[in-house]
Amino acid sequence: MTASNEYRFQVNLSGMIQILSNHLYSSPKVFLRELMQNATDAITARTEAEPGYQGKVRVELTGTGEQLTMMVEDNGIGLTEADIHEFLAMIGQSSKRGQQALLDGETSFIGRFGIGLLSCFMVSHEIVMLTQSAKGGPSMEWRGKPDGTYTIRQLDTQLSPGTKVYLRCTPDAAHYFEPEYVKEALFYYGALLPYPVTLYHDGAQDVVNSETPIWLTDPALARSRRAEVLAFGERLLGEQFQDFIPLTTASGRTGGIAFVLPHAVNLNAKRSHRVYLKRMLISEKAENILPEWAFFVKCLIWTDELQPTASREHFYENEKLEEVRSELGDALRKGLVDMAEGQTERLQKLIRLHALSMKALAVQDQAFYAMIHRWLPFESTRGHRELGELIDEGETLYYTGSIDEYRQIHHVASAQSMLVVNAGYIYDKELMAKLPMVLHNVQSEQLEPDEVSMTFTDVPPAERNQYYDALRLADSALQRFRCRTEVKGFKPEELPVLFTLSQESSTLRALEKASEQSTDLFSSVLDSLSSNMSSSAGYSTLYLNVSNPIIQRVLTSPDNQMTPIAIEMLYVNALMMGHYAMSKQELEVLNQGIVRFIDWGLRANTDRKGDA
Amino acid sequence: MKTEMDFEDLMEEAYQLPNGPAKLGFLEEAARVADVNGMVEEAYEARSEIVDVATFCGYPMKALIAFSWQLGKFDQQPELYDEETLLWSYKWILGKMPDFPEISREKIMELLEDFGARFKSYGYSERSYWYYRFRIFMDFGELEESGRSYDKFRTLDRDFMSDCEACEQDEIMRYFMLKGDDEKVLEVAKPILKGRMSCAEIPHLTLSEILMPLYRLGRTEEADKYQVKGYRLIKGENDFVQSFSEQMEYLTHTNPAKGIDVLEETLVLATDHEDAYAKMLYYAKAAPLLRRWAEEKESEGYRMRLPASFPYEGDPGDLLKLADYFVEHAQTVAAKFDQRNGNTHVSSLIQ
Repeated sequence: MTASNEYRFQVNLSGMIQILSNHLYSSPKVFLRELMQNATDAITARTEAEPGYQGKVRVELTGTGEQLTMMVEDNGIGLTEADIHEFLAMIGQSSKRGQQALLDGETSFIGRFGIGLLSCFMVSHEIVMLTQSAKGGPSMEWRGKPDGTYTIRQLDTQLSPGTKVYLRCTPDAAHYFEPEYVKEALFYYGALLPYPVTLYHDGAQDVVNSETPIWLTDPALARSRRAEVLAFGERLLGEQFQDFIPLTTASGRTGGIAFVLPHAVNLNAKRSHRVYLKRMLISEKAENILPEWAFFVKCLIWTDELQPTASREHFYENEKLEEVRSELGDALRKGLVDMAEGQTERLQKLIRLHALSMKALAVQDQAFYAMIHRWLPFESTRGHRELGELIDEGETLYYTGSIDEYRQIHHVASAQSMLVVNAGYIYDKELMAKLPMVLHNVQSEQLEPDEVSMTFTDVPPAERNQYYDALRLADSALQRFRCRTEVKGFKPEELPVLFTLSQESSTLRALEKASEQSTDLFSSVLDSLSSNMSSSAGYSTLYLNVSNPIIQRVLTSPDNQMTPIAIEMLYVNALMMGHYAMSKQELEVLNQGIVRFIDWGLRANTDRKGDA
Repeated sequence: MKTEMDFEDLMEEAYQLPNGPAKLGFLEEAARVADVNGMVEEAYEARSEIVDVATFCGYPMKALIAFSWQLGKFDQQPELYDEETLLWSYKWILGKMPDFPEISREKIMELLEDFGARFKSYGYSERSYWYYRFRIFMDFGELEESGRSYDKFRTLDRDFMSDCEACEQDEIMRYFMLKGDDEKVLEVAKPILKGRMSCAEIPHLTLSEILMPLYRLGRTEEADKYQVKGYRLIKGENDFVQSFSEQMEYLTHTNPAKGIDVLEETLVLATDHEDAYAKMLYYAKAAPLLRRWAEEKESEGYRMRLPASFPYEGDPGDLLKLADYFVEHAQTVAAKFDQRNGNTHVSSLIQ
């Protein structure tokens, strides 16, 4: 055994700062939040020791150019010499506790204090901290440089308890030191703080957070202070809202205001809510604090029960968050339910703007669906209507599963005055399918395109028998397209034929079309799928409209030569009318048919001339 | 009228939607409009999107159809299109091929070779070929052959065309799962569970996969946590029908009432699923759950809420009969897979 020595990794502080600024924080501007956070943590600690203690934060900008300096002062608990050593130890050593605690976000006040302070190196080459602990001891000065060197000394004079941090601005960070910027940022981070934050600059002083709104402690009070709440929302979130729903959890430790967005939102839009932890802004892009369906609101949330990540910009996805999320979701849902019961106009207005969000919730929550179903909009053969109006028609609600199917049948369906809902839009299919479970006296049924024929008029057997020869010719002509004919009477009369396709034969059609276009290998793969299907897949149907004069002639004068060609042409015509992409074989039929009809037309013409 | 939208409108509409049947509907409509109007490049673009969306929301057949069309066009005029995007989606298509029992073993091997040759011709790492070979043999239930490819692909360098580490890790985990090595499964799962590896589908898939291994090792407390977390990630998503089967299997043992909730909430997704393999597993795991639930006192008089699209005609209150229905379907499909694979691997998975 050779003797082994234990060494410690040397941590390069400037490298560490690089890592912090690039990976931990989203932008250098967070240094101000970190300083504010340190100040409020210190005040909180002091208030715990001395109940009723009135905290305050003072921010001062002095000097210009290279002398431009920011000072942030709090009258909180302050740091003793031992505290300073502790936080430096937390940062400098790669001790297991320090590393893991940083990752887990479970660092102590002192540890977090140090990490927060480090973020200042993103905007300053020197940090000076003067501090006096409320527990006594001498006043201390700490000076740190980004290369990791620092000095600590005892001051001769005794400062009053609290901490002052001085930052000398680096040239490229000057815009973070502009008074207007600082003022906005302080409001942004500390708008909800329960004690004054004051900015001093050029002889002026501004209290950036005027009085704390009363409804912060009891969100229910917001209802009677509409104008005030909306104005606060506008200042903080930058949008002119017209409606909101107050939120609270059972424990009362999380509360908020859900502002209804005044414009429609894209489903894929980021749901970003603004969240304050212990009254300090923690995130302006919290996505995971409300349920998925709540994308019609932008929320202002304050909480003291969630655990922030190391960057203090997000929350850990843990059971607590899960619980808070579902409680906030319930509160929001409750707000909507109250509207449905007492203020239907307000709810209708909301649904008109945010139908998708409401549908998303309705899909998950049948009771909610039952409550608001009347006002949900759908597209149907009776136009864009609210579901309530459609239900009032008292008919079975047929719906198609895709916009393509709706497109295929809606003209014919409306001509038969059949009520069909286009459920190809997101959530609509699920909602239609669930409707009978939610409302017991309403019937809904998914309609396959080939089922539209059920509203057609049957042709009596005796009459059908007259067409026997023509139909037999027609069926054998279309056999190779796996299509068969049927005679029915339907509207509009001008429509000679209608082509319909079951879902299975539609897949088969797609397989064959792709197979025509693909490489040999993939064609053979697709063929093995389609050969397996075609045994079970139904035929498509070409409905011949007995009420149409041309069809009448085709049916009543069967001809071995003419009928197959006429039927084939009607078939490809129906495909074109239905905007189906045609296969090579079908295109050939079209081309040959046209040429042949031109030929016959011309010949008939010449023959007539010959007679004359 | 929305039904007469042009290509751009349809694509625009599709882009605004999250992945799912509705988005797919718009994309298919866009492809159709492009086809009818002879807009080949647009038709290609729409199909690229179809492949992407269909792959990740449970429509492998639609993805295959669109991809086949694209590949044909690409081979005719490769200079018109981007080969990286196309060959990247080839991986998805290839990975799904074994899930179609109608496609023969020989065809799948031919596809694998075609895939390998195409990757080689563009100078991509051979790792992808061996990795997919590893996966395909796993699907065939030939673990020895799969193991050889596993040893091989791990020695080859990753490149930008390789699957992400999280996905690979999950497949490796599946390999040890098939080998029945629960301890090893959890060891492999560790970086995923710790959050060090993740992507769009991971840890979603993993959190359900590890439930039974944890259960067998008696670590139900951990498993319960992962069950809740995992289910939240996959709830309502068409892409995770196989994961629902794993959730149900675990809950059959630990909390049948909750399992029934999962069954009722997800059956609609499984019923019209295009992936025969995932659907088979789902049906296979639904049956023991129903039987287990039927033993519970609470289940007396319970009628299953079945979706309208579910083709079962019997009494939804007869849980055992419903279980038989599920088993029958699963066994029929498993037999097809067995026939294709030439072994009893798949039917043994659903015993």
